[in-house]
Amino acid sequence: MIVKEWCMYCGECAGVCPRCLIEVRETSLNFNEEGCKDCRICVQVCPVKALAKEE
Amino acid sequence: MKLIETEILVIGAGPAGSSTAKHAALNGAEVILMDKKSEIGAPKRCAEGVSKEGLSKLGIEPNSRWVTKELSGVRLISPNGTDVWMKEDQVKLPEAGYILERKVFDKFMAMEAARAGATIMIKTLARGMRKDNNGYIVSCESMGEDLEIKAKIVVGADGPESRVGRWGGLKTAAKPKNMESGIQFEMVGVEMDDPDCIEFYFGSVAPGGYAWIFPKGDDIANVGLGIISTYTDKTAYEHLLEFVKNCPATKNAQPVELNIGGDPVGGMIKNLVKDHIMIVGDAAGHVNPLTGGGIITALEAGMYAGEVAAAAVKDEDYSEKRLMEYQEKCKNEIGNSFDKYLKTKDYMLSLSDSDLDSIAKAFQNTEFENISTKELIKLLIKVSPKALLKLGKLF
Repeated sequence: MIVKEWCMYCGECAGVCPRCLIEVRETSLNFNEEGCKDCRICVQVCPVKALAKEE
Repeated sequence: MKLIETEILVIGAGPAGSSTAKHAALNGAEVILMDKKSEIGAPKRCAEGVSKEGLSKLGIEPNSRWVTKELSGVRLISPNGTDVWMKEDQVKLPEAGYILERKVFDKFMAMEAARAGATIMIKTLARGMRKDNNGYIVSCESMGEDLEIKAKIVVGADGPESRVGRWGGLKTAAKPKNMESGIQFEMVGVEMDDPDCIEFYFGSVAPGGYAWIFPKGDDIANVGLGIISTYTDKTAYEHLLEFVKNCPATKNAQPVELNIGGDPVGGMIKNLVKDHIMIVGDAAGHVNPLTGGGIITALEAGMYAGEVAAAAVKDEDYSEKRLMEYQEKCKNEIGNSFDKYLKTKDYMLSLSDSDLDSIAKAFQNTEFENISTKELIKLLIKVSPKALLKLGKLF
């Protein structure tokens, strides 16, 4: 997952991740890429379009 | 690795977590309240409105350190600009209240927990947990140091992104249709018709939610909106920029702060407890599904959680069955009304902009006596035959 520089770490992506793969830290996001099934719900809900999936 | 033991560990020091910690400590329990952030309450993720009635019910005295504005009315605005004013000098407004400074308020609540006897750990992140003989061991990271905290009861007050509940086997993940994307500017140079009234804007300006202007004194206001991502192709940020550009009150205003955050508006989570685990606040869906407001309910649910957790410690019974007392309290005091508000929200989302304009027009010609969220819905039922069919039996 690409986390853009303007991510504000609000955690909305983590709240909707059906597999609980996102750890929200104070100033960073950790994705457990191995468990990701590419549903992209996290990308869809981000209020500022700060997430993008690596193609 | 360093191991700390406690009776109750509360993860997350927002209003729900601090209230839980405070009431658990007041009832004699040994409590640790931890938060991943270096500053409790910052950044805010909230429009900062609370009702006077709600604070009073919880015995919290308003304090000039965290009240920025006392409100005296509400203005509702439909998509075509038809507005409905409800002012305290004309009608009773039991839910009228205050605009807070959350950065100060949240710290104040954490200080109350500390004064009650809770230990506070800031800049401490929970990274996982595992079951132990008589509780859980939570793996944490604090200022670069790994440590473990063993607790008989772990309370997840870790917000809409809650992982604690999920680690403990509770279903806290929100579906996108139940997660409102909230976004807000704090702005200066806001020109409101009445800076003592909060304003709500409905319709396609904020698909799935609404937009707001909450005055904070002088020409300062929180200007924001909440949307549901499944209702629009634009981001919340794009909707906010459009709103600010088109709204007469904000045409000349400038942002001094940007806030974002998810608001779980799908109603209260069904199961709030497991053996040794409780969840509270946004993590538990303690957010009014219709208004998106959650400060008072978080404080209230935190009070119940703290009291029940402390009693469970005294009884040395940390079972799901014992902790169920908390869930029942939440269901009776919060959840049942949320079920009705959820149905009302679903109905509101089915309305077109022109439906909303018609309702606003009908409201303009109506005499108000007492206005609360419930009374407004009753009025909606009166003026809209469609609402009567959908909501008539509920209110």
